[in-house]
Amino acid sequence: MTLFHFGNCFALAYFPYFITYKCSGLSEYNAFWRCVQAGATYLFVQLCKMLFLATFFPTWEGGAGVYDFVGEFMKATVDLADLLGLHLVMSRNAGKGEYKIMVAAMGWATAELVMSRCLPLWVGARGIEFDWKYIQMSFDSNISLVHYIAMAAVVWMFTRYDLPKSFRLPVTVLLALCVYKAFLMELFVHVFLLGSWTVLLVKAVLTGAISLCSLFLFVTLVHSN
Amino acid sequence: MFEEASEVFDNMFKSSFPLTFIVFIPAVLILVSPLPAEAAHEFTVYRMQQYDLQGQPYGTRNAILNTEARTVEAEVLSRRCVIMRLADFSYEEYQKALRQSAGAVVIILPKNMSAVPQDIVQQFMELEPEMLATETIVPVYFAMEDDELLSIYTQTLTSSSSQGSLSAAEVLLHTATANGFQMVTSGAQSKAINDWAITSLEGRLVGVGGEDLPTIVVVAHYDSFGVAPWLSYGADSNGSGVSMLLELARLFSKLYTYKRTHAGYNLLFFVSGGGKFNYQGTKRWLEDNLDHTDSSLLQDNVAFVLCLDTLGNGDSLHLHVSKPPKEGTPQYSLLKELEMVVASQYPEVKFSMVHKKINLADDMLAWEHERFGIRRLPAFTLSHLPSHRLAQRSSIMDVRSVSPSSRHGAGEPPAGPHVDVKKLGRNTKLVAEALARVIYNLTEKGAPGDLQIFTEQMVQEEQLSAVVDWLTAQPRAAQLVDKDSSVVSTLEYHLGHYLKDVKRHYVKADKRDPEFVFYDQLKQTMNAYRVKPAIFDLLLAVCIAAYLGLMYLAIQNFGVLYSVVRRITQPKTKTH
Repeated sequence: MTLFHFGNCFALAYFPYFITYKCSGLSEYNAFWRCVQAGATYLFVQLCKMLFLATFFPTWEGGAGVYDFVGEFMKATVDLADLLGLHLVMSRNAGKGEYKIMVAAMGWATAELVMSRCLPLWVGARGIEFDWKYIQMSFDSNISLVHYIAMAAVVWMFTRYDLPKSFRLPVTVLLALCVYKAFLMELFVHVFLLGSWTVLLVKAVLTGAISLCSLFLFVTLVHSN
Repeated sequence: MFEEASEVFDNMFKSSFPLTFIVFIPAVLILVSPLPAEAAHEFTVYRMQQYDLQGQPYGTRNAILNTEARTVEAEVLSRRCVIMRLADFSYEEYQKALRQSAGAVVIILPKNMSAVPQDIVQQFMELEPEMLATETIVPVYFAMEDDELLSIYTQTLTSSSSQGSLSAAEVLLHTATANGFQMVTSGAQSKAINDWAITSLEGRLVGVGGEDLPTIVVVAHYDSFGVAPWLSYGADSNGSGVSMLLELARLFSKLYTYKRTHAGYNLLFFVSGGGKFNYQGTKRWLEDNLDHTDSSLLQDNVAFVLCLDTLGNGDSLHLHVSKPPKEGTPQYSLLKELEMVVASQYPEVKFSMVHKKINLADDMLAWEHERFGIRRLPAFTLSHLPSHRLAQRSSIMDVRSVSPSSRHGAGEPPAGPHVDVKKLGRNTKLVAEALARVIYNLTEKGAPGDLQIFTEQMVQEEQLSAVVDWLTAQPRAAQLVDKDSSVVSTLEYHLGHYLKDVKRHYVKADKRDPEFVFYDQLKQTMNAYRVKPAIFDLLLAVCIAAYLGLMYLAIQNFGVLYSVVRRITQPKTKTH
């Protein structure tokens, strides 16, 4: 399509981040540089993950249409490194819980936006060919912002020393859900043969549910003591 | 935020070189990255003929195409690419598109040409010469139908036909949901090909007994012609003639190897190129032989020249002559022998002589024998066609075989041009018998009319069928067969197998005043990109702005959600 279409997609992908940054009050905390640091950590963690995957997971050349369940599961397990990375970012920042979570999540999600979506958008959305997938990609980036905020919150809760015993199980379950969400989505797509818009909807609903749950836990935890 | 950002960037660039590097190189790379060519559908298109003959331009004059697709049903066609299917193709609609200054025409042909209903084949065949008769400014392409292309056509059809009769809201909805297609060809503009050499081949069997033997020349042109060069397979015209010539060469080479059957006639075989372009190969061959060399078989004592053209079908045979042969000449005896063989051995064949004077005022010569007639050589053409004007001689519908399913009833309407090997074999045997009777002078020696010189096994139908199959395996338009092509080298090999002194003759058009000019870019890759109108972008921008506004409100009022959640969880914590 045109540069205008790229502008549309870019606005759709990027503006929610900007609004979140502005409205969450991070700008008042002078948190920009910390977000950039979080982004750098994201890069580092992704590099480590890639090296690990490339070393220990040889490309699986199965027949077309065959789903390598175990292999995909193992690959998704490598995403545990994301949790470590988020923890690393949060442990290096001093401050209130919300602040730590927001900085880590914003930096993390923005780095992902820049690294994995800007280039396809620039290359794809400007081409002659029109495809809904660039609009979908932009929506997806909005969803992943929510996802990373929820994930950072869960990680923060998990690493607290004063986490009550009764919270241990739900937090762990949420943690696992966060890590294996992408894997679960892929499985859904494979089993139910969903269309691209349906996938987006399911993803949004799933992410919404996870973040609502973590919000409940978070609110309870913060205001219980 | 921006002040902070600029500060951060300042620090970054001052302090650390590697970071600058990391940020800048991708930025530069992104800015200079070319637009990708990732198309919704990519398919091969074959361009209509483009050539000049005797300074007169024919066919389409353009190759570049970058416009949006429409079907003829749309109201406005100007500067649009009009796509049509062969089933709905008519000359009126084609003319309508051109009159409305359409940007291009793409005609979708069915994948399996041999299964097209015969009335459509006949109709299109009649139209082909008309499409080529004048020059067309815009590019005209032919594409083979597949599922993707069909779906593109259907989508274009629905969007083209529903315009104009809708309300504004429906049009708005339509722009958001319907797909437009931008058709883009990847190739460059068509250019004249310089120094194109048309190849012709000759070979001979030398007779025995004396110096000044009479020569019989057997000629067939091997190139094919159709509205698009890459689609012209030319099975009947003139794959059948070439295969018959090869078979005759094989039969007589056998006879000429034995002393007892070695006859007192020289046999000269000539496979000419450029036959569909006014017999350029034959013309040059005659010039070379008659004007430039001192001794040649053509100069001395030519009994007659027999041209074979379109002989693979039908139950009639026509001997086309430009001057009725006089009694006592070898020509006359061949005519009589043909009549006798037909009468005594093949009563189902209707044989007749067709007389047509050479019209020098005409742009195109009717039959190949007229090239020889102009040079005062006794010549005639044998064909199953009653007239040279029939469209079957220059059609892309002339294919190897027609599937039975394409005929509606039993043999009715008449099947399109194709080669029936049985009939080709019969015609070959008939011609071979007549030739042999002339060569060995059998009638004067008192041989009966039903004497069979060649047995059924000698004329091999498998051989004929294999040659026709091979010839129709690739398009043989004169623009596509160059001197290194496999068609020429295989023909040369075949001739060399049976004949002696196999030679190539090349024709190149004169540089100053070319008699024929061919153009390139006849086969291209076309991309169909899915596009949306500009209004769609605006609509999308409005929607996105609304969505972002909602987002803004939601994030601003996140506190509300937070307090709701807190209120729900509060009693719980109190009970603990």
